[in-house]
Amino acid sequence: MLAELLPKSHIQEIKSVASWEKAIELASEPLLKFGFIEETYVKNMIKSVEQNGPYIVLMDYFALPHAEAGNGVNRLGMALLKLTEPVDLKGNPVTVLLVLAAEDADSHIGALREISQVLADEDNYQQFINGSIDDIHQLLTG
Amino acid sequence: MKLLAVCGFGVGSSMVLKMSIEKACKERGVECEVENTDVSSAKGTDADAVFTSFELGEELKSSVKCPVFSIKRYMDKAEVGQAVDAFLEQR
Repeated sequence: MLAELLPKSHIQEIKSVASWEKAIELASEPLLKFGFIEETYVKNMIKSVEQNGPYIVLMDYFALPHAEAGNGVNRLGMALLKLTEPVDLKGNPVTVLLVLAAEDADSHIGALREISQVLADEDNYQQFINGSIDDIHQLLTG
Repeated sequence: MKLLAVCGFGVGSSMVLKMSIEKACKERGVECEVENTDVSSAKGTDADAVFTSFELGEELKSSVKCPVFSIKRYMDKAEVGQAVDAFLEQR
């Protein structure tokens, strides 16, 4: 499922960003460009961190920005941004942002399960947060 | 027993937390039913325990009757395991 939801055209790499808000905006760009989401969804993801706290940081250096399902989402999709220098997300350093555009409550469960399984392995996790985007793509979809 | 995994919208982080809790319960040989939900639905749902973030945990502690366990990293096996152990000891 991840291979379909996260094609290479949805994956970007950049050295650094000024803020976590900018990181979420930049990570979302492929989904906006290809019509998966609207600007509302990007704003809601940022608002959620401000209101609900930084629990989207699921492990050290890895965040899963997302917002209310279906609100500003045209189609289920994912996009990934890899930063060389970690950005601070309310006290948590983050190098990988994986934006989840959720269409409904559970159609993305398979993709999240695959990610959990991959990252449960310590070597995979190290490669995920430190590797190149080719490594990350191979790891998640290979 | 029924456990709730809670995040702001009940679709992403809480789904990951549900998977982490299920895994921890399985490893401990404990039967459990875990449901992921959003913070406002959680307030009206009966459960044996709620697992959520520190920020939402503060809000939920005053509105649910069951114990609330706060977790910082929803995908961190060790941290989620500790919270599950704390819950099992309390029972």
